[in-house]
Amino acid sequence: MNEIPLVFFLWVGAFLFATGLSIILIKRNVIFVLMGVELMLNAANLNLIAFSRGDDQNQGLMMGLFVLVIGVCEMSIALAIILQVYRRFKKIDIDQFQSRN
Amino acid sequence: MNSPLMIGFLALTFLTCGSAFFMLWTKNVLHAALAMFMTMLGLAGFYVLAFADVMAVSHLMIYVGGVLILILFGIMMTGQRTSKTGQTNELFTEQKGRFWAFFIDFTVFLSLSWLLGQQHFYAFSDLDRNSKLGQAGLSFMLEYSFPFELTGVFLLIALVGATYIAKNHE
Repeated sequence: MNEIPLVFFLWVGAFLFATGLSIILIKRNVIFVLMGVELMLNAANLNLIAFSRGDDQNQGLMMGLFVLVIGVCEMSIALAIILQVYRRFKKIDIDQFQSRN
Repeated sequence: MNSPLMIGFLALTFLTCGSAFFMLWTKNVLHAALAMFMTMLGLAGFYVLAFADVMAVSHLMIYVGGVLILILFGIMMTGQRTSKTGQTNELFTEQKGRFWAFFIDFTVFLSLSWLLGQQHFYAFSDLDRNSKLGQAGLSFMLEYSFPFELTGVFLLIALVGATYIAKNHE
């Protein structure tokens, strides 16, 4: 049984990264943008795991597990902040945030 | 190219990339959350195919069990009731045209895959097809013990902080 080449994993990771990037740039709902950030994070994580396949020290695997936990922290804090923003402004569009010069 | 591993990989690629693309295409936040659920399932399958079973199980538990529920709660609690008529779907989001979305997506993807095609990657050692659970547990207790404790404290602080921020400060 032949193995899956490494570059296939990297292509999938590249597609997920590009999709997450364009979601961040295009969508205007903050929760949507947060989902795009998660997609990019997971694309990077997939690359780590794919490289860790040929490493007997499992460094990429351990890094990926830590990245997973940090991603959860980021997600919970960001949703709490979004909740407060919604309570104050009754709206969660990206374009509503403008600095007062 | 006809091994069952490769067929599974192709099926997972269609699942993951298709639902990620649906996330980009749709305007409905709830549909995007469900598409993200399918993307996370496909990613767990990729981790299994990369012989990282620990990562697959923890990814399934954390993302499908935790983060997705968080996102659904966020969508529920921030439902925008701004429309006067009340007839429109409140879950729809504004976006700046689909052409630019697809353009950015395919440009970044093609340039990244061109970059990847230029490289030659070599593995440090042979593929280890066994379960990585024992090795990961030993690594957590031995050489990664300090980052492990640090991550635990960080997670605790982040969750307490998130609870405090989400509180109703009136």
